[in-house]
Amino acid sequence: MTRCPAGQAEVEMAELYVKPGNKERGWNDPPQFSYGLQTQVSGHRRSLLTKRVAAPQDGSPRVPTSETSPGPPPMGPPPPSSKAPRSPPVGSVPASGMEPTSFPVESEALMEDVLRPLEQALEDCRGHTRKQVCDDISRRLALLQEQWAGGKLSIPVKKRMAVLVQELSSHRWDAADDIHRSLMVDYVTEVSQWMVGVKRLIAEKRSLFSEEAANEEKSAATAENHTIPGFQQAP
Amino acid sequence: MATYLEFIQQNEERDGVRFSWNVWPSSRLEATRMVVPLACLLTPLKERPDLPPVQYEPVLCSRPTCKAVLNPLCQVDYRAKLWACNFCFQRNQFPPAYGGISEVNQPAELMPQFSTIEYMIQRGAQSPLIFLYVVDTCLEEDDLQALKESLQMSLSLLPPDALVGLITFGRMVQVHELSCEGISKSYVFRGTKDLTAKQIQDMLGLTKPAMPMQQARPVQPQEHPFASTRFLQPVHKIDMNLTDLLGELQRDPWPVTQGKRPLRSTGVALSIAVGLLEGTFPNTGARIMLFTGGPPTQGPGMVVGDELKIPIRSWHDIEKDNARFMKKATKHYEMLANRTAANGHCIDIYACALDQTGLLEMKCCANLTGGYMVMGDSFNTSLFKQTFQRIFTKDFNGDFRMAFGATLDIKTSRELKIAGAIGPCVSLNVKGPCVSENELGVGGTSQWKICGLDPTSTLGIYFEVVNQHNAPIPQGGRGAIQFVTHYQHSSTQRRIRVTTIARNWADVQSQLRHIEAAFDQEAAAVLMARLGVFRAESEEGPDVLRWLDRQLIRLCQKFGQYNKEDPTSFRLSDSFSLYPQFMFHLRRSPFLQVFNNSPDESSYYRHHFARQDLTQSLIMIQPILYSYSFHGPPETIAQWRKAGYQDMPEYENFKHLLQAPLDDAQEILQARFPMPRYINTEHGGSQARFLLSKVNPSQTHNNLYAWGQETGAPILTDDVSLQVFMDHLKKLAVSSAC
Repeated sequence: MTRCPAGQAEVEMAELYVKPGNKERGWNDPPQFSYGLQTQVSGHRRSLLTKRVAAPQDGSPRVPTSETSPGPPPMGPPPPSSKAPRSPPVGSVPASGMEPTSFPVESEALMEDVLRPLEQALEDCRGHTRKQVCDDISRRLALLQEQWAGGKLSIPVKKRMAVLVQELSSHRWDAADDIHRSLMVDYVTEVSQWMVGVKRLIAEKRSLFSEEAANEEKSAATAENHTIPGFQQAP
Repeated sequence: MATYLEFIQQNEERDGVRFSWNVWPSSRLEATRMVVPLACLLTPLKERPDLPPVQYEPVLCSRPTCKAVLNPLCQVDYRAKLWACNFCFQRNQFPPAYGGISEVNQPAELMPQFSTIEYMIQRGAQSPLIFLYVVDTCLEEDDLQALKESLQMSLSLLPPDALVGLITFGRMVQVHELSCEGISKSYVFRGTKDLTAKQIQDMLGLTKPAMPMQQARPVQPQEHPFASTRFLQPVHKIDMNLTDLLGELQRDPWPVTQGKRPLRSTGVALSIAVGLLEGTFPNTGARIMLFTGGPPTQGPGMVVGDELKIPIRSWHDIEKDNARFMKKATKHYEMLANRTAANGHCIDIYACALDQTGLLEMKCCANLTGGYMVMGDSFNTSLFKQTFQRIFTKDFNGDFRMAFGATLDIKTSRELKIAGAIGPCVSLNVKGPCVSENELGVGGTSQWKICGLDPTSTLGIYFEVVNQHNAPIPQGGRGAIQFVTHYQHSSTQRRIRVTTIARNWADVQSQLRHIEAAFDQEAAAVLMARLGVFRAESEEGPDVLRWLDRQLIRLCQKFGQYNKEDPTSFRLSDSFSLYPQFMFHLRRSPFLQVFNNSPDESSYYRHHFARQDLTQSLIMIQPILYSYSFHGPPETIAQWRKAGYQDMPEYENFKHLLQAPLDDAQEILQARFPMPRYINTEHGGSQARFLLSKVNPSQTHNNLYAWGQETGAPILTDDVSLQVFMDHLKKLAVSSAC
């Protein structure tokens, strides 16, 4: 069987889920929506009916709109399906307790594929970022590695970290940031100790990148003017 | 006669206003005879994705007592570059920047489609948003862990330059110094003694002069003139340290013996939070977020003692004047709430516990400042976690929906005065020609402050017609009202939203049918309901119900068509036909019936009722019942579901039937704030009681055999049905004795 890594789109699809609420601690606790579902733009929302029906003015008792036959209700089965089924909605509310179904892709993200780019990104930042911050980030990356190697991280977390690292390497800062946020919202128990380090790393990389870009522009401009910043011009 | 429904809907969509009357009675005497006051529901920051803000400041009327904003109702002389204020008739010169305007080149604010317009203020420093977490550590272990995780998660949702701070409390109150160095320090206060703002500021070292600004160095774009303190630091600097600090928080170390409650110093903790912000960042957008897992049990603001055998006050206790701590505690929190509102800050309360937490005494903190109130069973529930996440929801522009520091200023044309407002606001005590002496709600002012608000925050505004009887209808035939809301947008920029509306005056004697047709029964019901709930806070429950009933009877007498003494002849036109059933449901709602709810629960429901928009408020009064029909009554559906037909492929349509309400429910669950409880039940199920308590009890054990047919299960209640209520109402309306 060929194994292919989960594509980004597939990972994203799998993360539109609904979990049941914590009925042990809260009565009728509502279901919990994943970050992906919560941030979905509600463009498709149908406005539910809000117009009410007035009570009949002439005093007759209200007859229910669905006709009921007098006598005992039919005990037979429901009418069998004859129409084509409509497509099931994504991430629908579970009628009974359901576990979140993770997308059935076989391969797991490799730890090295995630840790190495993160450590590289940290190295890139060492000149630009305060030592203490770098040490703090480094400590948290070590914690991430420890938890990953120790089998403490779930598959969706590992998969999403792989996508995060891809986005970071491609300089798509907002996308990387959004994935970190989605992990903090959906898997806070697993990731809270080290994720803030990844968050900071994204921010530092982004700021380093824009600084470098600005410097390049400046040096390109000054190269045209034949001046070197910081050196005295000969009179 | 043209229907006003479309007119009403268009105006709500464009201006965020719903008036009880859309054609106004032209004299004071006639207006009072209309029973329902002239009033409106205003959503000042109604979401308008189609309305980009203009990048300049509004043009104001030059009369110092007026200062109305230029709007589409003003007369303009394009050649002389003059405009006439429609409120005070002052003629004003256009500023130089408007030199190029003409009939074919109008500025946006003069165009009728911009009756609502938003201005961006370019000048002035933009101060960052501030979030001060005040955290109860007297929680059970898994509750505290869940809360800690939610707070850590929130650091990823806050904007990077927002300032964040942490105060924890239990028996003592700890103000945590946030530093980027390894060592974490905190200032500890006793939870039993209240301190003045000055004492708090002195003890925290906040009264030393601020770090002098380095004049020589130009201000970098990302800096701002507001220095952060040791207790409030930007998220982007402090997130790693604060994550660790939160992770290390322990339960309150003071042991709680058997039969005792933990000593919880909520009153002092809040006092210190308010004092800290007062001394460091007055007049800038800030949220004090109180997370508590039980009632305050020591110090000022305590709501119950620490002996478990003495329960926290019930409505019964309050009625019998047996609530020992209530008055003093309420006073303490009211003092804090008023100070907070004066500083432009807001207080949120997140109360998660199985028993009451003192929301009754603390409710003013949220109600006066516009802060949120969330009530749950535990921090380890989806209800709390998702509600908390939703506070940080972003809008279509990627900005937070929350806004801060709003002032609402209302101007009216001469024939109207302002009687008051009901909603999450405080009075700014601004007197003037628009202010009526008769107060409804928070009155005696034409300006209010709403320190915390979002695109759904809605105020009820009540007016008084002051035109004398037999005085002629004003020239032009229309009255006007302008709503000006200054506020701090979540991007930290200041904005001004201006809505100017006009409606026709009409003489009641000759044009009653026009006035009737333009009645908005939905808005009227919600506005009357807000008045009723406002009264219920200070009056006896039965008195409020009597008042409500009296108004309903008077309304039916005035606007019903009937023959005297003949109840069967009674009819209401379409624009009034729903109003009685709204009143029927309102009377039995938890807003006015405190029986079967704790004082905290009543406070919680009333808090939300006083700020929701019209559609949500109506749902709270009379929930909408959707019926997804198939064949057979509900009992059969339950049997089929139990038999598992939905799992069989040949009965897929049954599966879709069961799924349809779940999908619709999901849409509501994804949008509503706070996150509601979710009940999936069936006929005969234990949870079905929530539905049965709300629906019209048309069939009870009292009348089961009266109609002689079985149309469904009876509801066990002594409440009258809507039908019986209507019969009584008609009898009273047509009687000449009333």
